Amino acid sequence: MAEKTTIARPYARAAFEIASAEGELRAWSEMLVAAGLIVNDPGVKPLLTNPHVTPEQVAGLVADICGKLVNKDRRNFLLLLAESYRLNVLAQIAEIFNRLRAEAENVIDVDITSVVPLDDKRKKAFASALKKRLGREVNLRCATDRSLIGGAIIRAEDLVIDGSVRGRMEKLVVDIVSS
Amino acid sequence: MAIKASEISELIKNRIKDFQAAAEARDVGTVVTVTDGIVRVHGLQDACYGEMLEFPGNTFGMALNLEQDSVGAVVLGDYKHISEGDTVKTTGRILEVPVGDGLLGRVVDALGNSIDGKGPIESDHSEAIEKVAPGVITRQSVSQPVQTGLKSIDSMVPIGRGQRELIIGDRQTGKTAVAIDTIINQKGKGIKCIYVAIGQKNSSIANVVRKLEAEGAMEHTIVVAAAAADSATMQFIAPYSGCSMGEYFRDIGQDALIIYDDLTKHAWAYRQVSLLLRRPPGREAYPGDVFYLHSRLLERSARVNVAYVEKITDGKVKGQTGSLTGMPIIETQAGDVSAFIPTNVISITDGQIYLETDLFNAGFRPAINAGLSVSRVGGAAQTTIVKKLGGGIRLALAQYRELAAFAQFASDLDEATRKQLERGQRVMEVMKQKQYSPMSVGEMGLTLFAVNEGFMDDVDIKKVQDFENALQAHAKANHGETLEKISANGDYDDKVADTLKSIVDEFKSTGAY
Repeated sequence: MAEKTTIARPYARAAFEIASAEGELRAWSEMLVAAGLIVNDPGVKPLLTNPHVTPEQVAGLVADICGKLVNKDRRNFLLLLAESYRLNVLAQIAEIFNRLRAEAENVIDVDITSVVPLDDKRKKAFASALKKRLGREVNLRCATDRSLIGGAIIRAEDLVIDGSVRGRMEKLVVDIVSS
Repeated sequence: MAIKASEISELIKNRIKDFQAAAEARDVGTVVTVTDGIVRVHGLQDACYGEMLEFPGNTFGMALNLEQDSVGAVVLGDYKHISEGDTVKTTGRILEVPVGDGLLGRVVDALGNSIDGKGPIESDHSEAIEKVAPGVITRQSVSQPVQTGLKSIDSMVPIGRGQRELIIGDRQTGKTAVAIDTIINQKGKGIKCIYVAIGQKNSSIANVVRKLEAEGAMEHTIVVAAAAADSATMQFIAPYSGCSMGEYFRDIGQDALIIYDDLTKHAWAYRQVSLLLRRPPGREAYPGDVFYLHSRLLERSARVNVAYVEKITDGKVKGQTGSLTGMPIIETQAGDVSAFIPTNVISITDGQIYLETDLFNAGFRPAINAGLSVSRVGGAAQTTIVKKLGGGIRLALAQYRELAAFAQFASDLDEATRKQLERGQRVMEVMKQKQYSPMSVGEMGLTLFAVNEGFMDDVDIKKVQDFENALQAHAKANHGETLEKISANGDYDDKVADTLKSIVDEFKSTGAY
């Protein structure tokens, strides 16, 4: 995983620079995410390592499936990846690209997992508190997990704020056992 | 220890009551690979070098490689329950071990947990294992001796408090014996000892502990053990843990002595960790920073001045200097001191005690090679009497070595050469000393005086040791107080010389040897 990210980084940067110069961040992002899903599809994935299929053919296939999302630059990008046998890192490229895009647009994706679905009032409170803490616009993504028992877990990239009852109980167990 | 059921629930109740678990923000990553105690973690963007990481199951690790997308970490202890996909959290803390007087007399592992079955360590204070050595301003030059109780070392390669003196030699040359004798001799002298065993057999460590207990030397000693069966990580951090325990005494204005037995195995452990972390190998496959590995450790052995101690203790301890004397041990292969690790450590330390297989096998024990052993700063710390009398010993031995080749033609030699040879042989005999029988300064002074002033020249070589033993027994029985006085102040003048002469004369007149 770590190695793939390292390989993906320069491609993502290059794509990001082209996209921001053209002002087409959104289109690039959509194409990359779609292409990332396509190459990881169980039907397509074996083709990447199939010696009877040239990488260019796979790149063409991916571009065709993406359809309107692909223009000349983006098709070239896919061909370039194919040439270096790097189509398998498309998912990581999409991830880094979106992170760069979020940074450029001063937005951060935040996952909130709670026991019960959050109402709008709570969401607003979370968003404003997190905006203050993280110094960026917050794009909330909410999910529910009953096993948390109570409270919520907030995740923004590597930062995790665990305010769940389950997390506190786990800590209590460690505290008692370790003494 | 029997605990009542109510006590346990009472304890737990208190713990639950006092337990505080505020929601905390932590940097989190995911385990990508686990190999031989080395874990690669994806994420952990904000991890610091050397930071403690928390793995599931109350296991901790240390971040050692900070890379663009991942962190290479070592697991402290068992790693078999850690698997790919596990969550790793940062703790914001550097690895710490307990320090203090509560550790004296105990055997602990590299993390400061007791392993001697005597219950948990009583300590309310802990210190980071990696600390920067005291700077130039806070240091004081070495001026007080560490008495090893071994004639050959105290007279020829004296060690001062705060010095780093290397013990180097092949396997089975008595390196550990020198170190253990030194610890035993510190009984009642106020120097706290720390013995760090790295990569040794558990049976050897048990033997050392048993011997120290039998000699009553465990009361002032801490044993830090990272045995051969422990993970390479534990062996790698053990000397740093021991050093922090020693620094505690240094910083409160006391004197401590730390023995690293041995740094060769420490370098091996670090090599293993480094190669598994995929750091590029260099000479003998050691990583590039293996010199720094030992230099930063040994630099922490120092003598610090009054102002430093006062500052660290917030003015509670005044007018005291503190010291941590380092005695690293290096094992050479077939006497090769020019290998990588030996040359490194020789260049870092303030001198070395070189032990030789040939001397050891010839029955010359401790098997110290007087020509290759040096102490660069210890001379300033030597007691006057040993310094004055020891000078003659060094000279006699140097001349003896030069002439030793001619020894077989003894009958053809002129009178002066023959005398030098005979004196040298007697000095060699006198330098022999049994294990676990350290000598006081007074006793040492008496023996050195007797051989230096030629009182042993008419004693048969085979009888020299008997003569010395009988002389010591005689002096102890009849002039115990005089010897104790000499030990206490260590002075040497005409009056002391006359006293010593009268003791030897008196003994010789009895002819009881």
